[in-house]
Amino acid sequence: MDSSLFDAAIQGFINILQWKTFFAMFLGVSIGTFTAVAPQGLGMPLVYAIALPVVIKWEPVTGIAFLIGASSVSAICAAYLPILFGIPGGSGSQATVLDGYPMGKKGEGRRALGASFMAGGMGCLIGTFTLVAAIPAAKPLIYLMGSPELFVIMLWGLSMVAVLAGSRPLKGLIATALGLLLATIGQQAQSGVMRFVYDQPYLLDGMSVSIMALALFGVPSALDLALTKLGVEQQPMPLKGSLFDGVKDCLREWWLVVRCSFVGVWVGIVPGLGSQVVDWLAYGHAAQTCKGGRETFGHGDVRGVIAPESANDAKDGGDLVTTLLLGFPQGVTTALFIVALLAWGFVPGPEMIKKNPEVIYSVVWLQGISGIIGTLIGFCLANQLAKLAEVRYTFMVPIMFMFILLGAYSVNRDPLDLVVVIGFGILGYFMRRAGYPRPAMILGLVLGDLMEKYLYRSVASYGFSWLGRPAVIVLLIIAGGSLYLTLRGKMNANKDASTATFSGAIARSDNED
Amino acid sequence: MIKTVVAGIVFSLTLAIGLAFAQAPYFQGKTIKIVRGGEPGGTGDVQARALIPSLRKHIPGNPNIIVENMPGAAGRKAANYIYQTAKPDGLSIGAVGAGLVAGHILELAGTQYDIDKLIYLGSTESGDPYVFVSHKSAGFDSLDKLRAATGVRIGAQAVGHPIYVSGRLFAYILGLKEPRMVLGYGGPELDIALTRGEVDVRANGADTILSRSRDAMDKGSLQFHASISIPKGRYAAGLPKAPELDTFTKTDKERQLIGLFRTFIYPRWPYLLPPGTPKEIVTTLRGAMTKALKDPEFHKEFKKLMSTDATPLTGEELEAAIKELPRDPEIVALYKKLADQGPIPAR
Repeated sequence: MDSSLFDAAIQGFINILQWKTFFAMFLGVSIGTFTAVAPQGLGMPLVYAIALPVVIKWEPVTGIAFLIGASSVSAICAAYLPILFGIPGGSGSQATVLDGYPMGKKGEGRRALGASFMAGGMGCLIGTFTLVAAIPAAKPLIYLMGSPELFVIMLWGLSMVAVLAGSRPLKGLIATALGLLLATIGQQAQSGVMRFVYDQPYLLDGMSVSIMALALFGVPSALDLALTKLGVEQQPMPLKGSLFDGVKDCLREWWLVVRCSFVGVWVGIVPGLGSQVVDWLAYGHAAQTCKGGRETFGHGDVRGVIAPESANDAKDGGDLVTTLLLGFPQGVTTALFIVALLAWGFVPGPEMIKKNPEVIYSVVWLQGISGIIGTLIGFCLANQLAKLAEVRYTFMVPIMFMFILLGAYSVNRDPLDLVVVIGFGILGYFMRRAGYPRPAMILGLVLGDLMEKYLYRSVASYGFSWLGRPAVIVLLIIAGGSLYLTLRGKMNANKDASTATFSGAIARSDNED
Repeated sequence: MIKTVVAGIVFSLTLAIGLAFAQAPYFQGKTIKIVRGGEPGGTGDVQARALIPSLRKHIPGNPNIIVENMPGAAGRKAANYIYQTAKPDGLSIGAVGAGLVAGHILELAGTQYDIDKLIYLGSTESGDPYVFVSHKSAGFDSLDKLRAATGVRIGAQAVGHPIYVSGRLFAYILGLKEPRMVLGYGGPELDIALTRGEVDVRANGADTILSRSRDAMDKGSLQFHASISIPKGRYAAGLPKAPELDTFTKTDKERQLIGLFRTFIYPRWPYLLPPGTPKEIVTTLRGAMTKALKDPEFHKEFKKLMSTDATPLTGEELEAAIKELPRDPEIVALYKKLADQGPIPAR
């Protein structure tokens, strides 16, 4: 860091040392915590949109403290619903349900929450450090990959199906195909062709991943609880472990946290990827690389919580790289953050690096401090919220359905979403019973749209010459190697006549009661 | 006697209260719902939030005003709701994008409203000039070079998007040879694709260039080939001059085609009432909207949130623009070809 940037970093820190700033940050953090615990539709965009006209009248650093405080804690605290209720959180925190909920059912909810907050806090700090490192040279990071390279990476992501399908490859492929098929619903952006729309305005924009995740994971969890009449405290295993066990898990798995945080940062930086892939890519990465995970993932392995949560929180740092240093918003929330910056007279992008580097560093400091505060708040609330798991099923089931339906309705305020969430929820329940891996279906839905987009753009821009691009060749080799190693691992496990393969674990966890 | 006096007082009080209530403004104590056809935080949403304080101030009775976001089908879902479902009581106001007009004229899927029956209150913005730009690295440092090239790749978001339609309109009128559309980008993604050389040229709104690509523009990295001023003759201050697309037209029909595009974009963020809304309510709301759009507080708030000046339209101006919309079937059919998938028609 040259001396001028160092001075700016110091100045940025001095600027936030005011009681107003910390008050605003605490206010933002409180609102962010509420939105994280509330149904998923009450997300940050709505909070930003409502707060913006008020906040822009404040001093810039005070307003930034509010906005950054709200968004960073919202991501960190997003794990309550998946862990305690089996209901996927907002986008970016959906894969947490795969291992978080089984941990909750085993009485390890506190440990899972501890790991989630610690991983989130660490991820947030790694994302923040990346933002600091990126300030001198942001552009190459963003211009590094074009559509062909991104297509190959999505293809690599889809190869995770081999993992998620477990010991039932055919069922895995059927679930993935169903996900890919659902991804085709709506107006195809590239051709304008209406696919499976049947003149229904509801279907024009395709199926919402948030609604589908709520349906496929939330409804079966609630139905399961209702039909088996078991509250978590009535399980054979009593509530055990503490938040600090989760902290220790994170510290022990620090390398996994770092790797997944960089997955998150990368997803944040690359425009167009969107937050809904970050947790799945990180989970898939952990699933493919964690030692000994073959027996435990999907059964409540804490690493299955650490991976998506660290990636989801690190993504915010990546988002800010693109937002602050290039002026490109990565989503509605960052678009509104840019609106606020413009209202205060800052022009995000290269001009801001030249003219207002101290403001960028104030954002960096606030992001880091909010991450720490968010983690602490998570810890403070977790012990109380974990007790929700002890509530009798007769109370729990209605609460879960209320959260699911309220969450589904608040995504688009469309009553038809309620019909879809119930319909696909029932499908999810039977998929679970019949051993069709639901994560594979969600993965197909999430990646289908992106893959189609990147492949189309690659061919439209370069014809088939994109296949000869050096970066594409390197990425194809890496993706192929990764798939080969995964499949070889599975075959070896089958040879050992073990029924407890890692991928099988995920699939089994998906259909057991 | 006392009884008579008490009865008289009670009667007088009842009458006074009754009269007071009878004269209370219709909107007093009520809540108006603005149904926004987009996600929270979109441009239209931000502009609605800039407008609300002034609008509330000027509606007699100062009702509460809330925003309900109803994203879907590029605003057509919200327009359908206002047209078909909302009660015509003045308590539901639609706020959608420029796609409202195009959806009806081009008969886009999911359009279940009639623009001639909707009631217009005004618009916070009235269009923005469009320009056709390439990146310096593409090598098209003059319009002649661009027109001489074959297979120029034009980037855009999606079929039917204003950037797509305007890109194809530029290509059609400029007579580009066998241009290829590369679609599926978000706006900022498209800027990156232009810089990386994944696409050669794109259309863009002037305000977007000024807010997002000012640095590249100031450095001279962007080449401005042509422009469409909206309304005709109004160009963006601070943007490098580029020849007006009308100057390349050969026939009156081509000029009308550009005119149709202008009209589609002109009412940028229209506010609507359902058909059948009582005349008194329409008059009240139109009057309040006109005052709100002139209110210095609105302009100040707008400038703060949008970094540009508001260019509002009143309900009457909006209604006139809809009435004057070119509806020549031949022009509309040609426009449809440009807005739809498939190759750009021969000139």
